[in-house]
Amino acid sequence: MRSFQSIRWRLQIWYGLLLIAALAGFGAAIFRVESARQFRQLDEELQRRVQVLAKSRHPVPNARPPRQQFVLLPENSALFDQGGAAEFYYVVWLHGGDAPIRSSTAPVDIPMPQNNTAASVRARGTLREAFLLPAPGDCLLVGHRTERDIAESHHLAWWLLIAGGGVVLLGLTVGSYLVHRALKPVRDISFAAQKVATGDLTQRIASSTSGSELGQLVNVLNSTFARLDAAFTQQAHFTADAAHELRTPVSVILAQAQYGLSNACENDEHREVFEASQRAANRMRHLIDSLLDLARLDAGQESPDRKPCDLATIAADCLELIRPMATARSIQIHADLRSAICTGDADRLAQVITNLLTNAVHYNYDGGEVQVSTRHDSGIATLVVRNTGPGITAEDLPRIFERFYRADKARTGSAGRTGLGLAIAKAIVQSHGGSITVTSELEKGATFTVSLPN
Amino acid sequence: MRLLVVEDEPDLLSVLVRAARKEGYAVDSAADGEEALYKAESTDYDAIVLDIMLPRLDGWEVLSRLRKTKATPVLILTARDRSTDRVRGLDIGADDYLVKPFDIPELFARLRAIIRRGANQSRAILELGEVRIDTAARTVTRNGKPVTLTAREYVVLEYLALHRGEVSSRTTLYEHLFDEDEATLSNILDVHIYNLRKKLGQDFIVTRRGHGYCIE
Repeated sequence: MRSFQSIRWRLQIWYGLLLIAALAGFGAAIFRVESARQFRQLDEELQRRVQVLAKSRHPVPNARPPRQQFVLLPENSALFDQGGAAEFYYVVWLHGGDAPIRSSTAPVDIPMPQNNTAASVRARGTLREAFLLPAPGDCLLVGHRTERDIAESHHLAWWLLIAGGGVVLLGLTVGSYLVHRALKPVRDISFAAQKVATGDLTQRIASSTSGSELGQLVNVLNSTFARLDAAFTQQAHFTADAAHELRTPVSVILAQAQYGLSNACENDEHREVFEASQRAANRMRHLIDSLLDLARLDAGQESPDRKPCDLATIAADCLELIRPMATARSIQIHADLRSAICTGDADRLAQVITNLLTNAVHYNYDGGEVQVSTRHDSGIATLVVRNTGPGITAEDLPRIFERFYRADKARTGSAGRTGLGLAIAKAIVQSHGGSITVTSELEKGATFTVSLPN
Repeated sequence: MRLLVVEDEPDLLSVLVRAARKEGYAVDSAADGEEALYKAESTDYDAIVLDIMLPRLDGWEVLSRLRKTKATPVLILTARDRSTDRVRGLDIGADDYLVKPFDIPELFARLRAIIRRGANQSRAILELGEVRIDTAARTVTRNGKPVTLTAREYVVLEYLALHRGEVSSRTTLYEHLFDEDEATLSNILDVHIYNLRKKLGQDFIVTRRGHGYCIE
């Protein structure tokens, strides 16, 4: 249910609730006003008819004691029981009479309003009645059946409900579209930021609304990305230039040393000097090559020569290179190479595997063991290199992939060791979208695991 | 064999020149692009070692201008190690590409290879009847027996052997065997030819009167 926590859904829900509340309030007001208007109109009609009834009540001439009689003129009787006035009825009580005069459609069981009734309009069930008490015991009452009015107001209520529902639906749809549009820059930003986070520093956020608040954020982020990109490029260029500038002086030393050696000097001391220079120059040469490798991997300049290749065959080739070195120190190599297809640059992967194998032999006891295995499961090709060396201390373990970090501080390695091998291996594996990890226990050896996606 | 070494780093240039002379090459040098182009166009070198980052005219420019008139084998020797640079160099017309820092033995092996290919020879060993020349080891045998030659004699022999069947004039031989710094005696070539004939047989090198020398 993570999606319901998104800004988009919360905005939608709040907006929808607000819209429904507003429409409900509005509808209720319309309904009330309309009903009130309808009843007020009805009451006026009722009062008018009561007045007509009042005029139809006359004293009986010469009657003793004086009596009242009720005579409805024919033109007035059209106000009741017929045609457009079919729902109006009247009941007239004279002298508290038990037998009221009533129109033909009047209900039979109408109680006579009591004198003390203050209101001149009353509602009984679906009936609405207005009355006048002209004299004690006399009562003129006009009633109206309100079923049709009630039905009408129900009708109105239904229409209001349907219209309201329609407006809510329309509102939600348009709102959803607007929210979608309003949040598009946010999605663009997070998409670009994600790409930048995974290493594509050339990514920029496309923004069409540079004036808006998000537009300003986009500009800030873009300039940050640009500076980040520039810093990385600059660093990569610097490393590349530095390595490049070192090539010429190193070649002078190397050439001079080799020329000196070729002059077959019998003098052992001279020979040693030249040999030492040659070794140092060769070491610098490896260092330069490694630094350039790293600079290019950092800058993402590696030409993508990615093809499906089998870690097992690459590892088998690398093993053949390493075997003489292992044999010289009586180290046994156990290989369990099962097909492990991955997509990558075979030369680069060979560089990684050779590095791991060289380390496994180099940092091992004479007569130790090196185990190499490759396997493939659920889309991941895995290579494991394990040795029986002295292992890596817990303090060194997290820093082992850092540049120039060496577990053996004494720097007693052979000329080829630059302290960059594992850093390069890691950079290569990462440029393939894979991962490299190490575990180790002191005196029990170390295990390096490379995982590469299919 | 006469080489032109183009390199703007003086220390590297000097060691390259010394090492090449020791290998038996006649060596000219140039420290900038203009000088390099002038020398390369006016002399028939057997090979040119060319740096790319040069003052005045860079290596790319020197090579592409040179290729309009001459097919001299060129080995690019540079600190630029990117594969795009290698491709560019070879496409402009370089015959080989070597990245600094380099091993001197490798440089000379590559030079021998491009010189051989320039003379349409693919093998390092040249067999001329009973005479066998190993250009890599710089040794000569006749009927399986080693023949001792001086460095200069070997160079004359190697040049004529690489261009077997062609007549090489005295001027051409002088141009290929001696560099600009050497003051040569006019008859020194005759001395070398005389000695070679003595060691390898009188008919091995033929004299074409008025034209020059030739191995058939």
